[in-house]
Amino acid sequence: MRMTLRRTLATMTPVLLALAMAGATTGPAAAFKLGMAVGGDTCCDWMKAQGDVAAALAKQRGWDYMELSNNADAATATKNADLFIQGKVDAVIEFNGQPSVNPVLAAKFAAAKIPVVTYDISQKGFYFVGIDNLAAGIAGGQALGEIAKAKWNCQPDLVLSSEGAGAGIVNTWRTGGMRTGLQKVCPDIPADKYISFEGNGQAVVSLPAARDVLAAHPDAKKILVVGLNDGGVLGALQAAEQLGRADDIIGWGQDGSFITGNNVDPHLAGSVFYFLEGYAVYAMRDVIDKIAAGSPPAVKDDAGDPASRVQPCPVSAAEAAKIPGTADRVAALLKAPAGTTEYDLFCPKKS
Amino acid sequence: MTDATTMAQSASMKQPEGLRTKLPSGWGTAATVAAAWIVLIVASGIHRPDFLSHQTVLAVSFTMAIVGILAVAQALVGMSGAILDLSQPTALILSAAVVAWLLERGVPVPVVAIAGILVGAAWGLANATIIVFGKLNPIIVTLATNFIGGAVMFLIFQNAQAPLKSGFSDFGRTYFLGLPNIWWPMVALVLLAGYLVPRTRYGRHMIAVGGNRFAAQARGISLRKTRFAVFGISGAIVGAAGILFAASNGPFAPAVGSTYQLPVIAGVILAGVSLAGGRGSIWLILLSVGFLSTVPTSLVFFGFSSNWQAVFQGLILIVAVAIDGFRAKRLQR
Repeated sequence: MRMTLRRTLATMTPVLLALAMAGATTGPAAAFKLGMAVGGDTCCDWMKAQGDVAAALAKQRGWDYMELSNNADAATATKNADLFIQGKVDAVIEFNGQPSVNPVLAAKFAAAKIPVVTYDISQKGFYFVGIDNLAAGIAGGQALGEIAKAKWNCQPDLVLSSEGAGAGIVNTWRTGGMRTGLQKVCPDIPADKYISFEGNGQAVVSLPAARDVLAAHPDAKKILVVGLNDGGVLGALQAAEQLGRADDIIGWGQDGSFITGNNVDPHLAGSVFYFLEGYAVYAMRDVIDKIAAGSPPAVKDDAGDPASRVQPCPVSAAEAAKIPGTADRVAALLKAPAGTTEYDLFCPKKS
Repeated sequence: MTDATTMAQSASMKQPEGLRTKLPSGWGTAATVAAAWIVLIVASGIHRPDFLSHQTVLAVSFTMAIVGILAVAQALVGMSGAILDLSQPTALILSAAVVAWLLERGVPVPVVAIAGILVGAAWGLANATIIVFGKLNPIIVTLATNFIGGAVMFLIFQNAQAPLKSGFSDFGRTYFLGLPNIWWPMVALVLLAGYLVPRTRYGRHMIAVGGNRFAAQARGISLRKTRFAVFGISGAIVGAAGILFAASNGPFAPAVGSTYQLPVIAGVILAGVSLAGGRGSIWLILLSVGFLSTVPTSLVFFGFSSNWQAVFQGLILIVAVAIDGFRAKRLQR
């Protein structure tokens, strides 16, 4: 008997439909599906690692996992929100370094009834998981202030701020917070000693900009550097080195990216670790596990009263030397008991 | 001043009368850029006398070093008629990353240096292969390979850095005769390339192809061989820039090479290298890159924030492109 394609389809379709319906009524429930939007800025290894940790923790829990990169781009972050909704995720973690579109993302996810965790950048309606950036900035500034007090009697010739304007309010909190912390220890530094330049959070961008600023202050012999992160501060330290003024400068960073391992700039006196790559532990433990279990916690979207607070860990260069690099920290984190944070594992001075 | 003006153009165009016939071609560009540079230095010195210090010289010469080398490579591509190599940022970082990786593993510096140059050359030859055998527009190909290369590098590493406590890094931050070590290779390269391009067979072929590729082919010059030679040599030069970049910078991410794109292109155009091909002087790159590298330092002395640097560099690029267009029209008349 000759079977045409149409007749075959007509015969098979009811059978397939019946099988699908049977599967739907008797099969296991669909797994919880987590969406993760990584920042996608190529500046830092922790940004990619944030996704790797979230993926590993989702796998440990038997969840489905969907990862997209925001590519440090507002339009991409918006498109990704649509893709998560189409992908029928049950919850999303956002690390969006372009917060201007967060209200748009919030509206889309709210309409789709998808709960969202945001790292470090607060948004109304999103669970806030992250550091208190202002407190972290102040802690770093105070630590640098103590060094300036001991070494230069709180009388630096110049205080450089390596800004990262693209980070918006986070830059204001961290870099401004460092200046505030410094002023708490050394309140009499004149305002005209503070000079800011754009470092974009990257040593390669910060270096030439700082070089020009230092050239414009040829008589400064006691120089302090604060900044958005370690990379931005490092650029200034290396600029001083190129101008033959390495011994005139001391910096204190933020985020701990470049103060571990055996290739650390000796003029980077310390940094404040947030262990950014391990944020997913906080998000899972305090928010997403509860959502997956069917009892979502109340939304806490304020950085001052967060759904989960990440503890800052200020460390000197000597203390940082004992902290392993990002890859080793991630490996240790994933082997640790559930809910253990990198702060628990690696911070030498727990508060 | 020797100007590598296309033979095709020089043969077919009328020479201007009077003074110009007695002066080397390209003198007008050189005089204009030199005058702009001098005005900038004098104005900055009047505004802030401490501008005229060794610190300023160091700041400007460090900035010049990498930009100048990349500008030579870009000028060769431009003069050959391939317009621009937009994949320079990726080639630069790829070479620098290989250099850092090898140094971390204790490979001797001479071997590392050769590897860095070979990586750049291989990148250039890969571009040439796609352009020649795909018969594709060089600017589109290099734009695409820049994206691809950057993305692949990001999959492999997020940050690289040459060992800080090493003779290699010491070289990148110390001086010879009061100027940065990394500045001298740039000067040597500019002088050597500027001398060789109009005086060697390959150099003349490159200019001929850039000026009029049909006329060049009619004279038996192989477009294919010329493309491979230009992209291979310019890639090797970018590889050399990668070595100096790794020596003089701290940790770097795959995407940071793009910060050089604007000043390099502006430097090439300001030096009188025609984007239409066949014309330009490598030697003038010393002046154009010197001027462009002084602008950001000068702005800081005038009290502008570093955010203004890109604005001024962009404006200078627009002016340079306008001058290039004006020159091209004048030559057509």
